[in-house]
Amino acid sequence: MRNSMRLLLASCGTLALAGAASADTVRIGITQNNVGIDSYQTTYERAFIEAADANPDVEVIVLDAGGDVARQISQMQDLIQQNVDAIIVWPTDGQALVPAVRNAHREGVPVIVTNSNIAEAGMDFIAAFSGPNNIQQGIYSAEMMCEALDGEGQIVQITGMPGYTTAIERQQGFDDRLAELCPGVTQLDIQPGDWNRERAQRTMETLLTRFDNIDGVYSGDDNMGVGALNAALAAGRAEGMVFIGATNFAVGYDAMERGEYWGSVYQSPVDDARAALQTALDVLAGEDVPKLNYFDTPKITQENMHEFDRPVF
Amino acid sequence: MANFTQIPLLRWLMRNPIWGFVLIVFIFFSLAADNFFSERNLMNIVVQTSTIGLIALGMTLVMINGNIDLSVGATLALAAAFAVDVQSWAAFATWGNWQILPAVCIALLVGILMGAINGFIVWKTGVDAFIVTLGAMLGIRGLVFVYTGEQSFYAMNFAYSDFSFMTIGPFPVLAVIFAVAVIAVHLLLSRTVHGRNTYAVGGNREAAVNAGIRVGPHMMINFMLIGFLAALSGVLLSTQMGAATPNLGRDYELWVITAVVLGGTKLTGGKGDIIGTLGGVLAIGILRNGMNLMQVPAFYVLVILGSILIAVLFLDKRFNRSADGGLRL
Amino acid sequence: MLLTRLKAGGPAIAKQGILVAFIVFMIAFSLMSDRFLSADNIMSVFRQSAIIGVMAIGVTIVVIGGNLDLSVGSMLSFATVLVVDLHDKIGPELAIPVMIMATLCLGAINGFLIGILRLNSLIVTLGMLSAIQGLVLIYSGGQNVDIADQSGTWFAVFGRGAVFGIATPIIIFLGLALIFHVIMTTMPFGRRVHAVGGNPTASVFSGIPRSRIVFMTYLISALCVAIAAIILGSRVMGSQNNVGQGYELQVLAAVILGGTSLLGGSGSILRTVLGVLMLAFIQNGLILMGQPYYTQWLVTWAVIIVAVWLDVAAKRGRLFSPIA
Repeated sequence: MRNSMRLLLASCGTLALAGAASADTVRIGITQNNVGIDSYQTTYERAFIEAADANPDVEVIVLDAGGDVARQISQMQDLIQQNVDAIIVWPTDGQALVPAVRNAHREGVPVIVTNSNIAEAGMDFIAAFSGPNNIQQGIYSAEMMCEALDGEGQIVQITGMPGYTTAIERQQGFDDRLAELCPGVTQLDIQPGDWNRERAQRTMETLLTRFDNIDGVYSGDDNMGVGALNAALAAGRAEGMVFIGATNFAVGYDAMERGEYWGSVYQSPVDDARAALQTALDVLAGEDVPKLNYFDTPKITQENMHEFDRPVF
Repeated sequence: MANFTQIPLLRWLMRNPIWGFVLIVFIFFSLAADNFFSERNLMNIVVQTSTIGLIALGMTLVMINGNIDLSVGATLALAAAFAVDVQSWAAFATWGNWQILPAVCIALLVGILMGAINGFIVWKTGVDAFIVTLGAMLGIRGLVFVYTGEQSFYAMNFAYSDFSFMTIGPFPVLAVIFAVAVIAVHLLLSRTVHGRNTYAVGGNREAAVNAGIRVGPHMMINFMLIGFLAALSGVLLSTQMGAATPNLGRDYELWVITAVVLGGTKLTGGKGDIIGTLGGVLAIGILRNGMNLMQVPAFYVLVILGSILIAVLFLDKRFNRSADGGLRL
Repeated sequence: MLLTRLKAGGPAIAKQGILVAFIVFMIAFSLMSDRFLSADNIMSVFRQSAIIGVMAIGVTIVVIGGNLDLSVGSMLSFATVLVVDLHDKIGPELAIPVMIMATLCLGAINGFLIGILRLNSLIVTLGMLSAIQGLVLIYSGGQNVDIADQSGTWFAVFGRGAVFGIATPIIIFLGLALIFHVIMTTMPFGRRVHAVGGNPTASVFSGIPRSRIVFMTYLISALCVAIAAIILGSRVMGSQNNVGQGYELQVLAAVILGGTSLLGGSGSILRTVLGVLMLAFIQNGLILMGQPYYTQWLVTWAVIIVAVWLDVAAKRGRLFSPIA
């Protein structure tokens, strides 16, 4: 008992020493959405830490909300508590984070929103947004689908986890653009794949039973798209079916190379992470930063895929 | 060992080992994390804890009864959705800030109703509460998605989210509400007939029936109480967000049950108290907050929380055995 | 009418609440969708339910022994990530045994804490659920894992192959169910698990080594998870770190639907299989009918309560609970 107590105190001491950092660096806290749920977020985190490590004047505090809005709000409070110079937040929910962002704004801590944007009501309280445009990704996917099908056909859609902003926006962009650009393409059904390849595969199997004629599949990302592709391949119906995803994954890239997958939207987590950190640094340096900083997420298809590196996730 | 037990505080700690644990982690983080020991952070912890804590109060009642409620996370989400959405109903358009009042009332009623449904089914069918509420956990989450159409709702009125930043004296209003609820449920459990019956029903149901307690309605009341507390928790959480999201409260039931068991309430019923439950929720709240401040990587937080949970359960068993010499399940 | 029938001890049909519900559902769905009862669809649902089904076999045995296992979801993530990751590193013939051993170790930890130390199974496996999820993420660094050469590996046989026209997952699932059904109903081990779960105190006095039996049930549960992971890994040819998230509750729902009592001591593997299939057919049927996904949650709610209610009512001989 006494030994373990001594051990405890000793470890306390070491940690306290490690915690004391120099005062002239900037301290930036980041609270992420749900690291580990997919490789994109993990790669983002790694790239973010690498970029911060490369800059001797930056110290970062990296937190993860685990997909839970309430925990993310707590983490925002904890970060304000630690007197960070700026907070970067990857919202678990664009709507629900508005008061927390407003609170940080009141406390004088600039907030940079990364990856998926906060709701309109919160725009006044953030310093800047940096990230891809999820709605635009849905729009690009709709345009590719339209092109691939020559404006005529029946498709199904497999969305991400229901109720989360990214999933909703990618669906919204796609639905709106498709209806406007390609009234000849009808959506037979929309079912969730929960960002999970096996789940998407299961859903697709059932959809294949239900519909004799499916010309195309749009998925919230390639991970699910490849699940749908697997189902179609197993059923012997993949021939001529168009698969399009809203974010390119390595598995999707490979499937494209094999000619089984039509196209996707190229989005680099490394760019995403670096852009977020740079935006935060610009804000802290007092530069005039535009509110919305979208980085480019181009279409990637079988034709132009070799202009891009294979995604690392 | 024998002379230690003479000191009242130590004896008390032996009986409530979770508070000993709370003390240890508290001292640990005060030394280890720079910003841990400050008035504001401690208030943060109480506010952060209140979400799980309010539900845990109700769970203590239900578990002392020998039941369990797995549907609380979904009930929380449903109540939050109502609290935010009803404000924008046309009927209350001219009410100004008063539109919040009917919204909150309806949300709380929805919570009570969900609890009543669970309690009624447990009472009438005699199916195990674990099974009834496992079903309800799915079903009520389904109702949330039906009601919200899988969208998030947000409050147009900033007065709603300002509420969560209000303070009474030096204390955040959310912490005060939590404290009041703790005291109220503690008194209910320790000073009233209903409280005594709660122990009696969980301890020995047959004896309780023989003593003339109407077990069915009694259990239903406790389910309505936990429904109310889960809804209250949902309302308060939605004021912090100014919004309600359909996935709110996922997995909360697991953390609530964990906290209550850490606090010494037995899953088999008949034993437990609010003081212990408060210790349980604070232990989890302090660990989460402290690890955030110390920047423990998220992956490790999962492992540490899981291991500590099992370790405390183990220690609790050892302590209790040596303290009262008997075997407890 | 129903009441008197139940009171009379009930014809066999009243005791098979789940079977009745199952048949009613199959008829209802087949009336509403003409594709529901097609051979293709039935095969596809059986194949889809194999993963949950194999896990449910193990959990049924744990529950009969009087305990719970909520850690199977994370354990599935662990096992799948491990076998897929090791597949490309050391080849499938080594990856599979290594993964099985590692998963059995996790099962042994559960078994030690619950069987030997007698800690509460709900809380221990809840703790393990969190801890194992953390372990998976630490192991993989949070990255998805994939098998590079999907068409060239014999590993594909478990999830994508077929024997005599029947998909391998179905054969594994039903074969395993049959084996464990025989073990649980005819062998001494099965009787002991029932005894330990039904009356722990009495079983100790009658000389049954309770600790060892409970320990074994958790090893079996882990083994089932490992087998499910092989099917899953082979079917998807890749894995996310949280692939098994939430499976613990689906598995438990299936076990409960099969009429296994959470108090321990009674339950049947074959009825668990029915529970698994029923949940899978509900999911499948509602999509075939074009219902939004959340309908299945509402339907599952009603089905679980009604099925278990009928079951409980048949056992006690009256429809409503005697509680005042």
